[in-house]
Amino acid sequence: MMSEEMMENMKKIIEIRNLTRIYGDGSEVRALDGVNLDIERGEFLAIIGPSGSGKSTLLNQIGILDTPTSGTILLDGVDITKASEKERSRLRNRKIGFIFQYHHLLPDFNAIENVMMPLLINGVKRSKARKMASQMLEEVGLDDRADHRPNQLSGGQNQRVAIARALANSPEIVIGDEPTGNLDSKASDAIYELLRRLNHEHNQTFILVTHDAQMAAKTDRIIRLVDGRIVEDSRR
Amino acid sequence: MFEMNIAIRHIRSRQRQTLFSVIAVALAVAIITISMSMLSGFTSYIVDATVENQPHVTVSPEEDEDHIYLYHGLLNYIQAQDGVIAVSPRYRGDCALQYRHNVEGVVLYGINPGDETKILNVEKDIIAGDFMSITGLGNRIIIGSKLAENLEVELGDAVTAKFPGSKPTDFTVTGIIRTGTQADETLAYANLGRVQDFYGKGDIITGIGVRVGDIYAADTLAEKIDCETGYDATSWMEGNREILDLIDQQTGFAYVFYIMIFAISGFGIANILIMVVMDKVGEIGMLMAMGTSRRSILIIFLFEACILGMMGVIIGSVLGYVSSIMLASYTIPVPPEMYFGLDHLPFLITPENFIIAGVFAMAINIIAGAYPARRASKMDPVEAIHDV
Repeated sequence: MMSEEMMENMKKIIEIRNLTRIYGDGSEVRALDGVNLDIERGEFLAIIGPSGSGKSTLLNQIGILDTPTSGTILLDGVDITKASEKERSRLRNRKIGFIFQYHHLLPDFNAIENVMMPLLINGVKRSKARKMASQMLEEVGLDDRADHRPNQLSGGQNQRVAIARALANSPEIVIGDEPTGNLDSKASDAIYELLRRLNHEHNQTFILVTHDAQMAAKTDRIIRLVDGRIVEDSRR
Repeated sequence: MFEMNIAIRHIRSRQRQTLFSVIAVALAVAIITISMSMLSGFTSYIVDATVENQPHVTVSPEEDEDHIYLYHGLLNYIQAQDGVIAVSPRYRGDCALQYRHNVEGVVLYGINPGDETKILNVEKDIIAGDFMSITGLGNRIIIGSKLAENLEVELGDAVTAKFPGSKPTDFTVTGIIRTGTQADETLAYANLGRVQDFYGKGDIITGIGVRVGDIYAADTLAEKIDCETGYDATSWMEGNREILDLIDQQTGFAYVFYIMIFAISGFGIANILIMVVMDKVGEIGMLMAMGTSRRSILIIFLFEACILGMMGVIIGSVLGYVSSIMLASYTIPVPPEMYFGLDHLPFLITPENFIIAGVFAMAINIIAGAYPARRASKMDPVEAIHDV
């Protein structure tokens, strides 16, 4: 029988302890200042705060794109701050899906090839990757645009392809850095609904950084950062 | 191999730049393969001409001696050496040839035509008569073409050989030879026995010509004969040291130029890759975010350098090959005696030259690609992603 504490730990996908990130040598900037944060599996949360408050820095830390000055991040029980460069690449590929403000699709590849890319990096066979990618495109409602290149798709469509790509490897954590920042409100809403639906269907953890108060208000949990510290952590 | 896939797409998406950098590499490879074929052709022409027109090894009398006495044993000894194809005893003497009022000084070679033709391709230079005509009995002589003109003799005329202390002897002209060199003014061949009789010193010779299978082993053989018999043996290489050194030096200079030409084409490759990397910063960041390792990023751009280089090498090799064949068939309108008897560019098209040029080009292209590729792989993903 598992104890209650163990059950509790099982539910936690991210445990951040005393995370500090200092930039610069001379005049140092504490982008993150002793952040402690636990995130459970399947949560759909928003990180908000004024610009320069450390939102993106925190996201980059969780996404293993950056290393902290001090503190630890346990991702599914593994301390990623101590992982080797190679292991970090591998973890990024398998555990994390990124959606950025700009879609960052590879311009020389069409929609389905873009969605296949994380699978191919993961070593999945081309034929299988194509099948999986096509399924993902269907989920974001773009299966009829599979052969289109990014320059042949609208902003909203490209962002959907980017979402399909972020989810292709079935990552446990999906990170969105202003995922709707470049879109009009109608497209924004559609993207939000899509993310929400995927969150329900796949029980993946979604962490969004957003400026959009309306969107943040619709998430399950809001974490407000000011000057690199968490000043508010509220659940609905 | 998603790295290869990405590399190919990058190249395909910028066809014009690709075209120009490939042309740069192709031209470099073409120019260098043409130049190499010409240099090889010239070298081999010189070597052939040298080797054809003189014995691979020449054995001369011991120091302070003018003749080789009891030479039959020495002939057998040399013939028994490894790699020796043929030996030819020779008596080289000076004399005067007279025809009516014309007198010319000549270098008279007494040879056994059967042996001599095995070591030198004399017969190809015969322009009238027959070299083997001096085989049998009877005083017959073959003379150089210029000598024949100067003496105003034709086939069938009898010339008189004179030498102080020797009995003037008549020889019938049965052949005329043209080597294309100055020797044509003084050269004369006659049967060894007749020449020995003419000089009246008995069965002696002044040298032995040797032909070997591997011309580059002539050095070793000469040294061996020299050591073991005491006779003075020299190889064709030793005898032509200066021209061979000159060829080596030329080849060395040529390679310096090759490297410079390749370096220039390498800059073209580096240039396009630096542009691709600058252009793709955001993409590189995203690839890293998707879990592409730094090593894979490096590989992507090295692949691009390889693909561009490979296309250049293939196109350049074809271009170089076709051009070499076309240039080789081009006859140069110059008097043949000006360029060692050459009337066309001497091309020797060998696979080695193409392999060397190809490997060289690829190596320099990869080196050229290394800098931008390294830069791409060292990017900070966070900074790269936000660089849009």
